[in-house]
Formats: sequence, C-alpha cells, structure tokens
Amino acid sequence: MSLLEVKDLTVRFYTQEGVVTAVDDLSYRIERGEKFGVVGESGAGKSVTALSVLRLIESPGQIESGEILFKGENLLEMSESEIRSIRGNEISMIFQDAQTALNPVYTVGGQIAEAIEHHMDYSSEEAKARTIQLLDRVGIPEAEERFSDYPHEFSGGMQQRAIIAMALSCDPDLIVADEPTTALDVTIEAQILDELTELADEFDTSIQLITHDLGVIAEICDRVMVMYAGKPVEKAPVEELYYDPKHPYTVGLMSSIPRVNDKRERLQTIPGVMPDLVELPSGCSFHPRCPFAEEKCTRTEPSLTDVESGEEATLDTEHSAACLEYTEGLSQGLTYSVETTGPADGAAAQYVEGDRDE
Amino acid sequence: MRRIYESNALHRDDEEAHAPSKKERKTKLQALRSVPSSTLSDFLIPRRFRHLPVSVDVETPDDEYETGEPIPFRVTLRNRLPVPISIPTRSPLLWRWTVDGNVEAAEVSVRDPPDEEGQLSFDRGERKEFRKRWDQLFRVSESEWEPAAAGTHTIGVAINATDAEERGLTDETTVRIVP
Repeated sequence: MSLLEVKDLTVRFYTQEGVVTAVDDLSYRIERGEKFGVVGESGAGKSVTALSVLRLIESPGQIESGEILFKGENLLEMSESEIRSIRGNEISMIFQDAQTALNPVYTVGGQIAEAIEHHMDYSSEEAKARTIQLLDRVGIPEAEERFSDYPHEFSGGMQQRAIIAMALSCDPDLIVADEPTTALDVTIEAQILDELTELADEFDTSIQLITHDLGVIAEICDRVMVMYAGKPVEKAPVEELYYDPKHPYTVGLMSSIPRVNDKRERLQTIPGVMPDLVELPSGCSFHPRCPFAEEKCTRTEPSLTDVESGEEATLDTEHSAACLEYTEGLSQGLTYSVETTGPADGAAAQYVEGDRDE
Repeated sequence: MRRIYESNALHRDDEEAHAPSKKERKTKLQALRSVPSSTLSDFLIPRRFRHLPVSVDVETPDDEYETGEPIPFRVTLRNRLPVPISIPTRSPLLWRWTVDGNVEAAEVSVRDPPDEEGQLSFDRGERKEFRKRWDQLFRVSESEWEPAAAGTHTIGVAINATDAEERGLTDETTVRIVP
C-alpha cells in the first residue's frame, strides 16, 4: 500500500469574478521514503495541492471531488479531530514563508515543543529536551540558549530551519515542503536542502517537495510531476524528465534555466504568462504559449497519457504526459532536441534546447 | 495641535499633476464606520426586496465579429442604493454567463457547485465590472470544443438567484458572427 494516494482531486474557489479551478482532476502517488517533486510556475496549483493534502483549504475554496488516501484512509472523510491528530504528527508541512508560519508572540522553542507535547504525550521537560536536540540537529547554533528566542531574533535561514525542526518534531511519515527555500539565498538553500534530505533519509520520511526550481528537484527528488494551470502535464522519474522531457511545457521550463557553460546569447523563455484560472483557454491550456501548437490543440483537451503505449495514464504509469502528440499525433510533431553536456551521471548536468538544431 | 493640512509644509497646487490639490472635500464622508452597515442592511431589508436596487448589464464593444475572432464582453452588476445590499444565491456560484443558453458556452455540465447557499454582496452604490471573452467555441464534451456557426448568438448574464429572470437579475445582448 502506498503512503499517499491522491485520486481525481478537484479544488475550486468560488470568487466574485468566477470559479477558479485551482486543481483539476489531479492524481498521484507517493511511496514510503520517496521524494516526490511538484514543479510549475506560480499559479499552477502546487500550493493548493499541498494544502489539500492537509485539508487546509479555506473558504471560498472547496475540495469538490476526489480522494486523498493516507495509509489507505481517506483524509477527506475524517472528522476535524481525526485530521488534527494527523496534521503535524503523521503529515507535517514546511511552509514557504517561515516568518509568517511562526507565531511572533511565542518563543521558537515553545512553538516546536507544543507540537511534541500535543502529539507525543511528552512532559514539558522532555519536549524541551527534544526541541533543543532538534534545533541542534538542523544546525541552530547554541540551541539551548536559542530555545527561548522569539522568531524576530532568528535570521531568515534560522527561521526556516526552525520550521524544518518543527516539521520533523513528531517523526512524520510525510513532509509536505512548499517551496522551503524560495526566500533564502543559494548557499543557505543548499545547506537546508542537504539537511532536509539527510534528515528524511535518517527518519525514512517521504517528502512532497513543491518548488518552481528544477535544479532543486534534480538534486533531491526521485519522481516529478509538472503542473500547469491546475493540471498535471507530465509525470516521470526525475532522470527521465531531465533527459527525455515529453511535454512542451517541461521543455520550456528546462530551456529557461540559465547554465554556466551555456553558449546561447539569450536565455530561452516561455512566451506569455499562465492563463487566468477563471477563464482557461479551450483545448490544451498550454496551447497559447506552445511553439508546437496546432489547430486541434485549441479544440481538444489532452488527457494524461502513457508516452510509450499512448493509453490513458494510471497511477502506475512510469512516464506520462498530457499532449495530443501521444494520442492523436501532431502533424508537425514535437521538434525539440535534448543535448547533454558534461558527465551524464548527474541529472542536473544535462541541457535541453527547444526547437534548435545544433 | 496643528495638522499637516493647516501648515505650509505640503506644497499644494491645482494645476500640477503630482501635487495634492488645494480644493477641500465638498461632500462629507457618508460611511459610519462604527456601524456594521452590511449586517444592519441584511437585518432591515427583507430578502424579497433586495433585488430591486440591483441592475445587471452585459455589453460587447461591437455587434459583428468575424469568424474565429474572440468576442470580449463586459458584465456590470450595480447596486443603486446608498446602503449595502446582499442577494442570496442558490450556490456559491454567484453569477453566470451563457451563450445561447449554454453556461460558459458549454453544452455539457463542466462543474457541479456545492449544494449550499451563497451571497452576492454589494457595498453602498457599488458597481462590479467583469471583463470576459468568448472564443466563438462551444464545449461539446468534457474535452472537445467546436466552433460556433456564423449567425446571431445571444450572450446572457444572470445572477444565480431564485427567479432571477422575473426579478430582473438577468440581461442579454446579441452578436453576429460573419464569415
């Protein structure tokens, strides 16, 4: 049995402007100990997916349909007290903005210890001891003295580490990390990602890592799901996604990563912006920005398909993409090439070019 | 205590675009911030009368469009009263637009709003304006779209309230698609 199975999840927000379909018919699975990446631009529905897993969607948002099975039990059918016993205990979350996630009027140590006391029935002394141990583990210097510091006395990197310590405090089975390093500089980012991976390996914890940084995904994850306008457009093991991307959006994301040894004068970007989720384009949502789009892309919405067999993808499908090329076939095809430079053993060492022959 | 507007610390000029003007406010602020006016309005104005001050309008910039040309349209919902008004709606979907009677130009039902009441709230004298676009395509199934035929089509807008049409909470306009 998988640790987490999300089936046909649809989340909508009923606003004055119209209905925002933030997540549309999304399915994925996370195995025990697996590091699963969710990537996409801002507004792709990554954070809403993460919040749905913890049932933290607030009004006017509604989880309209689907199932979220955690260890075989549907989280959407649980009572509020049942889900509260899972939040922070079996599934914990690392929020994007640590400063906002921490309560400014309580000490950092106190906030971490509270979760330990609540979920693990520790006495306050035991919880304090464990908190100090965790703060030390995530690299907070002089953890014992910093226990009683307030969030404003911590730097951004330290606040993020404190949030990671909080997420790890109850030995969760799954950590949902929503852009854990977005607000940090690259050196701190690398340290925190290393710590997160190390700690997850040590505690055999699964991670659902949400980011818009493909470099971070390459470093950490085993499998990746690329999201666009609330829908999954490609799902693949990380190496396959980097060496053999199948969806034009993934190709666009890859080619917009700057590289040190890049010979191109200008960075290739994906033209346009993510569509308004209230008014999605007809057919494939990506067609207005896709360099390979044809008329049929404006008329037919592609479903997630096994790229090998062309059959509709299931949760077991290894590599799937949502492009008509893999079902009906595009008359011009997808004419991009993937070029690898340097050693081919690291996923990050590859190089993807969209529609360029060299 | 001398206020900033009584001092000469601020340069004021009616002609200069980026300087604050010399003119004083002619009208008094009408809102009584200490009074929860929306709640009070909901309490005092019976549900059956709340639709009366609300108007619904839909308009397109042109009457004729060439085949394939996206048709923009503007929806205006307005509360004519100087007090807040809220209209109960049948679901959290507060209003909808249709083309030839098809909600959001879809011949199939693409969403099923939850079975609970919603509320379309207007501030005093508020005008809500939404800009939408119809791509001249009808959604014929979950994943298929077909182009609209040339001829006249009706774009309608309705607040999702009970008896919206009888209560004047709908409007429509027609456009012609020419080949």
